[in-house]
Order: sequence, then C-alpha cells, then structure tokens
Amino acid sequence: MKRLLIGCLMALVCQNTHAQSFSQQLRYVNYTELGGLFGRVASGTSTAQLVENRVSFTAQTFNGVQLTNRLAVGGLVSVDWYKAALLTPLGAGLRFDLARDSQRNVRLLAIADAGYGFAWLHKASSGYDVKGGWMINPGIALRVGKPSASAFVLSLSYKRQTADVQKPLTGNDIQRDEHRIYNRICFRIGVAF
Amino acid sequence: MKVNRLLFFLLPFLYLTACTDNCKETRKYRRYSPVTFTANQLRQGVQIEPAQPLVNPGKIYTKDQYLFINELKQGIHIIDNRNPSAPTPVAFLRIPGNGDIAVRDNILYADSYMDLVAFDISNPASVQAINRVQDVFPNGSFEGGWWSYDAANKMVYDQKVSYVSETIDTNCDEGVNPTGGWIGWAFTSMAQNSATSDKSGGSTTNGVAGSMARFALYDNYLYTVNQSTMQLFDIKNPSEPKIGNKIQMGWGIETIFPYKDKLFIGSTTGMFIYDNVNPEKPVQLSVFQHARVCDPVVVNDNIAYVTLRSGNQCGGFTNQLDVVDITNLANPKLLKSYPMRNPHGLGVAYPNLFICEGAYGLKSFDIRDVMNINQLQHIEGLDSFDVIPLEKSLLMIGKDGFYQFDTSNPRQLRQLSRIPVTPPTYY
Repeated sequence: MKRLLIGCLMALVCQNTHAQSFSQQLRYVNYTELGGLFGRVASGTSTAQLVENRVSFTAQTFNGVQLTNRLAVGGLVSVDWYKAALLTPLGAGLRFDLARDSQRNVRLLAIADAGYGFAWLHKASSGYDVKGGWMINPGIALRVGKPSASAFVLSLSYKRQTADVQKPLTGNDIQRDEHRIYNRICFRIGVAF
Repeated sequence: MKVNRLLFFLLPFLYLTACTDNCKETRKYRRYSPVTFTANQLRQGVQIEPAQPLVNPGKIYTKDQYLFINELKQGIHIIDNRNPSAPTPVAFLRIPGNGDIAVRDNILYADSYMDLVAFDISNPASVQAINRVQDVFPNGSFEGGWWSYDAANKMVYDQKVSYVSETIDTNCDEGVNPTGGWIGWAFTSMAQNSATSDKSGGSTTNGVAGSMARFALYDNYLYTVNQSTMQLFDIKNPSEPKIGNKIQMGWGIETIFPYKDKLFIGSTTGMFIYDNVNPEKPVQLSVFQHARVCDPVVVNDNIAYVTLRSGNQCGGFTNQLDVVDITNLANPKLLKSYPMRNPHGLGVAYPNLFICEGAYGLKSFDIRDVMNINQLQHIEGLDSFDVIPLEKSLLMIGKDGFYQFDTSNPRQLRQLSRIPVTPPTYY
C-alpha cells in the first residue's frame, strides 16, 4: 500500500520532470494552505450518547504543474493534527478550473486529493500504537488573484481520513483495537502561485 | 451558468458526508462464572479417548517426536509429529483440571486440579494412569480464573471462563492529550471548549516445555510451582512419584524455567533465581524485581530474557522485553528494555528469540547484540501464547491453533503445518 503510494508519487514527479523537459509550457503551481477540520463525534451507547464538537488544525502544500489552462496536477503533503492522532498525509491531487474563461481574476476550482496519512510525527502515550490510513479530500476552492500572479485561495472540502489504534490492555482484556474514520469539513486559507 | 450547474452537482456531497467522526473500539475480554466439582467426580473423569479437535488449547510439550497439547482444564491431545508437515492426532487423554505436563522416559505427569497424576505413555494410543498423588495443589488459576480445593469437603471451586467480544462507539480521543504544542494548541483548546461534555541423571530422557510451564524436570525431581509455593516430587522411580519438599516463594508465582543447575522462576513481581546444586532443596540466590505484571522467563548463557505483560491477574501497565545480565547470579542487572505489545511466552534458540504477542501475533528477533535486539519478522493475524524452539523448527500454540514453522530463515518463518481450533470459540 505504502509502496504503491510512493510509486505513484515517483511516477508523478517523473511525469512532471519529463513534461517540463519536453515542454516549457508547463508551469509550476503551488497551493499552500492552513485551516481547520470541523466535525462532530458521537460516542457511548445508543441510550447514553454523547455528542461533541471537534476542530483540528490542518496544513497542506500542493506542488504540481499546470497541465492545461484549466487542469493542474501534483503531489501534496499535509499535516492533520487530530486530538489523538497527528497524521501526515502524502498523496496526489488535481485542481480543475470550473470556469471556462481562465483569464478571470476570481476563479472557482474543483479540488480532489487522495493519499495515505502516515503517523510518523505522532508520539503516542505508553501502550498506544497509532497507525495511519487512507485519505480522500474532494471539494471546491476560490482562487482570487490575477491568473498570471500569486493569488489567495479559500477552499471548502470534505476530508475523510482513517486510522487504527491499538490500546493498552487492562483487566480481563485480550484485545482492544480502535478503527477511526475522521469525517470532517475542511476549511483552508492560503496562497497559490 | 455552466459554473453554477457544476456547483449544483458538487454541493450535495458535502451534505451527504455527514461530518461526524466514526470511531469504533473492538474489545475482547474474559468473563468468569463460578462452578463447583466434587473430588470424586474429577478423579473418575480421567480416561483415554479418541483424538479430538483443539477447542481451547493451553500449553505445549514435546518429547520424542510426539506433541502434547493441553486442552485447558479438559486434558491432553497426543499428536504424532514424526512428519512436522503433517502432524497426526493419536488420542485425547481426558484429565479434568489439567494445565501442565512433564514427561520423563515413558511417564507423563499431569496436574488434575488438586492432584498430580502419572501416566504410562509407552503406547501413546493407549495411555494408562498408573499413579496419583492426591491433594497436593491447594489452588491455581486458568486463564485468569481462580480455583481452590476444599480438602475438608473434597470440593473444587472453580471459575468458568467465557469470552466476550463487543464493539463500542468511542470519542476518538483516548490516548493522547495534545494540549501542549504550537499552533495546534489553539485548535485543540477550541475543541475542548466546544465540547458538550538439565542434569537428568543416567539415561533418562525428558521432554521440552514452553516458557509458560509450571512443571520442570531436573535430576530426580519434578518441580511444580503454584501461586506461592514450589512443590517437589521425587521421581527417582518415575512411575512412582512421591511428594517432596515444599518451598514457600511468595505470592504471584507463574512459571519455572530450569537452566543448567539453576531454576528461574517468573512471578508477577520479579524473576527469582534458585540454585539447584542440591536438587532436593533449591536455594534462592536472588530476585530481579520489576513492576507488577506477568513475566515468563527464558535463559541463554549469561542472559535472561523476561517478557512483562499487563492485563488479567497480571495487573500493571507494562508490556516489554527485559534483557537481564545474570553473569553474577546473586545480583542480576537489567541491561535494556524493549517495548512490546502484549508478550506472552517466549523461546530462545541462539541467535534468535521468538516472542508470542498474544492476539497480536508472533515476532522473531536477532539477539546477537543484546543492546540492540533487532526484530526480524512480525507475523500478524494469528494468536500466539507460547513457543518451543527446536533445532530447525518452532512449535507455537495460540487461541486459534497449533502452528509449526521452519526457522531456517528467521527473517521469514515458513509455516510447515497448522492444527486449527475447531470450532473457533471466540475469534
């Protein structure tokens, strides 16, 4: 799985390099954004359920090439700081301009990112072992700025991230594992150039 | 207009995703319920039966290409292992309350709650009970459930163990409190605020036990440990075991591992080292103390390997491998600890060490440099309780079956055979 991901990233990088060497028309693009992951969590039994709000910090940098006037593809690195898991998704994504007129200063983009969130930066309490999982992140973004210059970016997307946690055994426990699916609305602000 | 239409298609999925974290914890645990037997009822229950499938296997023992797999509190599966790739069940020896095994020559010793029973296994298909030492074990435990013997009323009070698996929704937060840190501090604070709430004399031959064994053979004695004492049996005449000395050892004794003329005892509070120069009366040399957890021990040369695990009657929260220098037996020293998941039995076949991680599989290590023990392989997806490393193979027992591995390449253990548990009781 991780090898597949690394392979995809390598292929993407190679593709970019290849494309750039053969066509100077391909322009490097970068989207760097910070924001929050907003959601809720419901825990407990059906008769005693507790619902809590959740906000987590997220940061992401997308580096790629503008393949066509409307489509950019690239690789991405994120940091998602959930309350009990610090995950680092690596993946690939695309930015597609929904407006046909690419010369407008305000443009609406469709974004689609996917990858695997690693727990490399996570420091777990004794007895806990956090492993990452797959991530998908589709959404929309507003790019505000002249097409040929740097611009501000506002993005609103849905982020789904899975993780697995092994928990310490107590009492009569034999096995205690948790499968987490973080379902969040992701709102980010950043710059693009 | 075109943009608006595209937006129209994009927006619904934002609503459909229901931005609620979904965290489910799967927990498997033991549940106990009381059960009572009369001594007569238990003693009359010993018999040889046709081979039966494994249901709830306990410890393993091997001798002369035969395997003895304990069926917890039920008896012993006798298996012909002359071909490790295709072990053949021979018979099932029903012994109520059995948990441990030792074999010298053709005599098998087994506990049956409060009694020690000797069997003649010259013909493994037709095992005969030849002797019984009565009322020698006052109490014990199986799978964390305790039993005790009331000698006055000839009654055994036991706890029946059942396994429960449940899945609960959690709040995804257990384990970390990331309130310290840089930018994340603000966000995590926001989140918190917004929450709504051997020297075997002469030509005798002994079998080989795993590290979880409570029985050990040395010289003319069978050593058995229960929760607080070491009970010796004189087996000069193997078919006539006689009760020997009893040595008080303190509470929480779990395992016994004989190595050369020493006995290494695993307890919930530490590792006891006994000098066994006089096999009739072992003498305590030292104690290596640790946090209150379960700890089987194995020894190779001047190094003892002790696994500490939490849970059940073990208590504690420690799960690790301790490497202990026993060059000076009177003063064992901890060299290094390595974190583990939930280590149970272990076995050493230098330069390799094999550790059972309970429900989390089996691990093999390179122990040539004890200060830098390298994990060579982690086999997940199987349950492992105890191992016996042989010359080129590894016997392993777990809740989901008995496995044999070819250990020629310790980086890639090759499964030779498996006797599955049938039916699976809880996994």
